[in-house]
Amino acid sequence: MIALIAKREFRTRALSKANLITSAIMVVLVLGGALIAKPFLADDGEPAVVNVDSAIAGDLVPYLEATAQAQDAHVVFESVDAPDTVDVDQDGALGEDIAGLITGPLDAPRLYLAGGDDALTSVVQSATQAAALDSAVEDLGGDAAAVSASLANSVPAVTIVGETNEFNAGQFFSGMVVVILLFFVLIQSASVIMMGVVEEKSSRVVEILLATVKPATLLGGKVLGVGMYSLLQAATMFLPVVFAAWYLDLFGTLDVEVGTLVANFAVWFVLGFALFTILFGGLAALVSRQEDIGAITTPMMFLMMAPLYLAIYLVPNNPDSTISMVLTQVPFFAPFMVPMRSAFGAISTGEVILAVALCVVTIPVLTWIAGRVYAGAVLNTGGRMKLAEAFKRG
Amino acid sequence: MPTLEIDSLAKSYGTVRALDGVSFDVNSGELFGFVGSNGAGKTTTMRIILGVLRGDFGEVRWDGAPVDLDVRKRIGYMPEERGLYPRMKVGEQLVYLARLHGLDAGAAHAAMEHWTEVLGVAERRGDEVEKLSLGNQQRVQLASALVHQPDILVLDEPFSGLDPVAVAVMSDVLRTQADRGVPVIFSSHQLELVERLCDRVGIVKAGRLVASGTIDELRATDQLQWHLTGTMPETWTPDAPGATLTPQGPGVWRVEAESTDAAQAVVASALHHGVVSEFTQVRPTLTDLFQGVVSEEEVAA
Repeated sequence: MIALIAKREFRTRALSKANLITSAIMVVLVLGGALIAKPFLADDGEPAVVNVDSAIAGDLVPYLEATAQAQDAHVVFESVDAPDTVDVDQDGALGEDIAGLITGPLDAPRLYLAGGDDALTSVVQSATQAAALDSAVEDLGGDAAAVSASLANSVPAVTIVGETNEFNAGQFFSGMVVVILLFFVLIQSASVIMMGVVEEKSSRVVEILLATVKPATLLGGKVLGVGMYSLLQAATMFLPVVFAAWYLDLFGTLDVEVGTLVANFAVWFVLGFALFTILFGGLAALVSRQEDIGAITTPMMFLMMAPLYLAIYLVPNNPDSTISMVLTQVPFFAPFMVPMRSAFGAISTGEVILAVALCVVTIPVLTWIAGRVYAGAVLNTGGRMKLAEAFKRG
Repeated sequence: MPTLEIDSLAKSYGTVRALDGVSFDVNSGELFGFVGSNGAGKTTTMRIILGVLRGDFGEVRWDGAPVDLDVRKRIGYMPEERGLYPRMKVGEQLVYLARLHGLDAGAAHAAMEHWTEVLGVAERRGDEVEKLSLGNQQRVQLASALVHQPDILVLDEPFSGLDPVAVAVMSDVLRTQADRGVPVIFSSHQLELVERLCDRVGIVKAGRLVASGTIDELRATDQLQWHLTGTMPETWTPDAPGATLTPQGPGVWRVEAESTDAAQAVVASALHHGVVSEFTQVRPTLTDLFQGVVSEEEVAA
């Protein structure tokens, strides 16, 4: 019975034209965006090629390569027979896809650049200086390798005093993605359930339904069906984003752990869903018409937005402050606080377990309240019913 | 033959006493018409039978045992305020409702096809309910009450808003269901229809069942009535003890008499004073009975 109701809810929502279209647009936007962005972001995939005149290549290239590596420049050097003159006014005079050309003499090389590239200039400058230094040391009868080694070793050991105030973009990004996605999915599924409850009430079909199913079964089936639908929707939002991030190699750049991200989302989706949607599904039975639903959605928005904002503003600056730790243990705040804090690595396993346990204990109480209010109010027509009265009748 | 027994139902909304000990039985195969003025308690009684409302007192029994969820699944119900999912297709909706009542997918589909055919909405199966006219929505509503082959039918105002053709179809369906052995309770304000269709009638007034029985039983009053038409002068007064004459217009009288003999005395007198063109016994219609009941209460009040 409950499966039948859940299936209807799921089918009605998931197969609605509006849903199919918006989901398709979402997927196309995210994937298309990734495909379009890839060439721009992947610019440094291919190394820049710099030609070096064969007359000096043998001496200079080892220095160039060492310096390029030291400076993290993505450059390869190729030995060529350089032309005597380069037509500097002509685009592409250096050759197709060639970033630069170095010609002799060794102690005063000339660098032609295709477009201004500061990094390349600095590489060539350091390399020629190193080559000049080595040859000067050897001219003086010293050991060039020993000089290079001692130069390389003379790096200061740095210790920062006081707060580092280092902002980790990767942690912030992953925390934000989870809580904002959670917020949208939860608020959307709660609205869908509430609208469904009021629709059944206002169309009076609920009277036929309740003649054959119990109120708890009806509400339960609704919550289950909409839950499945929301999960599917979250997946159609989440998976393309994950794919796009992988495709654009953002995980490497931002240092994000996808596993933690998904696990956090999954756990807090289920708990948050049970906390918010069942309660508001029950409360929605208090109103009889779609126009009056605002009386229920306003407190719901407040109950979800306050934790979201607190999680976004409190946690990144100070992930383990007392207020964050206290709010983490408050059931309605936990779905947003825990993923955000764990994204910053500022929550202990004990705290997570306690927060989950507190939610798990709260859920049956809320479900019981919601079920009673729903049963008491769902057949009431006319104006808005008082919460206490509905609870008493249920 | 199982019987649906409604036993001393009582229900109050705050200080308003909606039902005050309503009891009646409906046998298998019986069409029971439920009449009463607005707010008399018909809908409340039906909602309590269906369990969508909890009574303060009393019990509803089917085959001797209190009606529980399993029995309720076997009731076909048409609520006063029609209710279907407005944006669900007719066919899908009926299949869904049939399945909620426990039919498997195949049987539900067959039942949906059967009832949409019988009720003349077969070609609208693929349309959303809200796109149908109100009359057709009503047919779908009836189909939703019948689609699971119910053992009991409870219909609140099934005839309201129907055209004469649909009324005929609906009457046929109810009669067929009753002939199948189903007890059928329906409420209506169309008293001629109730009179023609029902085996038994119950009249509710202010939360109490003030009269119930077959139409003939209800008609069996002490005061017999005749309708008299003739050329007697307006001043004519017959010498007939036990009979009273009420002029109904030029040349028309209503005769109320305690016995047939008293009435015959009136006719004899009339024949002396003019030409009698019509003298027929008037059997009170359900409308008369209903109005009698209502005015009686008002006089008492």
